[in-house]
Amino acid sequence: MSPLRSLEEAGAAMPDRRRVLLCLGAAACALSSGVASVWAAAPANEEGNVARAPASDKTQERQPFYGIHQSGVTTPRPATGMVAAFEVLASSPADLVRLFETLTARIAFLTQGGAPPVLDPQLPPADSGILGPEVFPDNLTVTVSLGVSMFDQRFGLAEQRPLHLVRMMSFRNDALDAARCHGDLSLQICSNTADTNNHALRDIVKMMPDLLLLRWMQEGSVPVIPASPGVPAESARNFLGFRDGSANPDATDEALMNRVVWVGAEQEGEPVWTRGGTYQAVRIIRNFVERWDRTPLQEQELIFGRRKASGAPLSGGTEADVPDFAADPEGEITPLDAHIRLANPRDDKSKINLIMRRPFNYMNGVTSAGQLNQGLLFIAYQNNLQLGFITVQQSLDGEPLEEYIKPVGGGFFFALPGAVDNRDFLGRGLLAAAGFV
Amino acid sequence: MFKKRVQRARQFKALMLAAATFVGAAALQPAFAEVAPYDLVTPVAEYKIYVTESVQRLVTETRAFTDAVKAGNLDKAKALFAPTRTHYEAIEPIAELFSDLDASIDSRADDHEQAEKDPGFTGFHRIEYGLFAQKSTEGLTPYADKLMADVLELQKRIASLTFPPDKVVGGAAVLMEEVAATKISGEEDRYSHTDLGDFDANFAGSKKIFDLFRPLIEKDDKAFVSKVEANFAKVDKILDKYKTKNGFETYDKLTDADRKVLAGAVNTLAEDLSTLRGKLGLG
Repeated sequence: MSPLRSLEEAGAAMPDRRRVLLCLGAAACALSSGVASVWAAAPANEEGNVARAPASDKTQERQPFYGIHQSGVTTPRPATGMVAAFEVLASSPADLVRLFETLTARIAFLTQGGAPPVLDPQLPPADSGILGPEVFPDNLTVTVSLGVSMFDQRFGLAEQRPLHLVRMMSFRNDALDAARCHGDLSLQICSNTADTNNHALRDIVKMMPDLLLLRWMQEGSVPVIPASPGVPAESARNFLGFRDGSANPDATDEALMNRVVWVGAEQEGEPVWTRGGTYQAVRIIRNFVERWDRTPLQEQELIFGRRKASGAPLSGGTEADVPDFAADPEGEITPLDAHIRLANPRDDKSKINLIMRRPFNYMNGVTSAGQLNQGLLFIAYQNNLQLGFITVQQSLDGEPLEEYIKPVGGGFFFALPGAVDNRDFLGRGLLAAAGFV
Repeated sequence: MFKKRVQRARQFKALMLAAATFVGAAALQPAFAEVAPYDLVTPVAEYKIYVTESVQRLVTETRAFTDAVKAGNLDKAKALFAPTRTHYEAIEPIAELFSDLDASIDSRADDHEQAEKDPGFTGFHRIEYGLFAQKSTEGLTPYADKLMADVLELQKRIASLTFPPDKVVGGAAVLMEEVAATKISGEEDRYSHTDLGDFDANFAGSKKIFDLFRPLIEKDDKAFVSKVEANFAKVDKILDKYKTKNGFETYDKLTDADRKVLAGAVNTLAEDLSTLRGKLGLG
């Protein structure tokens, strides 16, 4: 008998025990009242029950599903996110259609919420039940992207490959673990709580076991900050303690998003079906946090090129201020090899290399060496992968920060254009271009 | 047909009694109306025959296997390891009802805190470790004796077991869950890499159960039956590619593409067969 089982049985026995105690004579009752209270039911005062579910007033927050772009890219990043990568097992065009139609239907349901069907109790239930009988949206987005392997010889999609989509290469500082790299299809799942993400992932895994095989997944979260109205927004901090995303382009600026993130007619050579989509770069980057925490503060700040506490550039001001590297050609204020300077030199030439970062921090337990296994689930979007992430990462090769970080996994994907309405489905443009629908 | 079976095998008396009780209980809640609980009696009886025959072969072959181990005949023992254990793998839904025996017959090193060095690590995989990793029969005699004794005890217990219909029907899915959770990765026979033989036996055991109960559902649920059969066929087709004269190629020969197809079929079978109990009113 498992310990859990016996605990349950003990629980089931409680009411009987209480009844027995209550049935005793008055004197005996008085004597046993101390015992009886041990077996009392849940406290009337809810605060008194330590196992009470934490309450949230954000469970009804809802992101749109239908639109020319998928949600989850320019959507403000919620507190938790994950990336799951799958193998696609489709063996016919009909399988591909079923895959994308089912994905669309599940995501439309999960992101908007509602009650799953109630089945005969002799069958496994339709839903995992993690969120209760009524699924609430909780700010969920599920963003579907395809790896370059979707465009190999298996599926008849080779001619539809997005122009810049390639298999993630190993950069200079990488130590890639094959079991945490690449994949035919990625899902970026984000919401207010990790459990909501898990609920969505399990729903999708259960719905299509013959079409999707899970390859790897990485969860993450970002630290919350106290609400401070009237004070400019801050970027969330990474596990090195620095604000991450300070130089991100403004996601509410539609023209800028069209220039940086979304593929449009301006992207020469791209198949027409890619319009409204974007390239997704995912990197699982381990941080050597013990070593980082043993590094002097001023060295940490020189490595990043920012003040740790405020996020301001070393030239001063606030996080929002743009450093003037041109006025510091010798790197006397911001070293020439500082992370932010290499990643974004802030000159006219580098404007075409802008990317939209949307990372989360992850914790994966302990390494065999007894060190904390944690780091950054880096996610970035751009409308040209080559000019975007690949160029930025190449310019970071050899940076001093490399001593403290080690990319171990990830992959390059293309986030599909959105489904515009309930007659459309994600991937329809791609399948139509291939002649499958 | 039902009567004939009873005459042929007297040991099913207990089963019939259990089935009668079961009829009473299940009749209260008919979920998928077309299947009368009484219809389950014959397939359950047939399944007991299958298990009984399998365990008899397990006993015979385990004797030959353990004799080879004790005689120090390394090559013969290695050759007999994989075929012998297939008879256990095929009947796991029943064998696992005896968790003490299952642990001593079929546990793996990582079920034990000190792995291979753990004194609690016994059975097939402990002997496999000696034969294939240490390449020797030295020191294996006590494990061989224990395995033989455990297998005989298993046979004894199965003979007197009243087969619970829900465990029998549920067994089809259980076998797939096991493959999906801890076998598809090639971690079961990690020293000999004879996993494909285990897979084959697991699938055969699951398909046997499905085939026995199929007549009860195929009329009302043709789509379900043909989907399950298509996935079993998909598995067969892959495994056929790896058949050799005496069994199967080693697990490392399995291509990545074939492993993925197998994994997809196993997950889908597990998902679909998980509804079999409910469809038969045994949920």
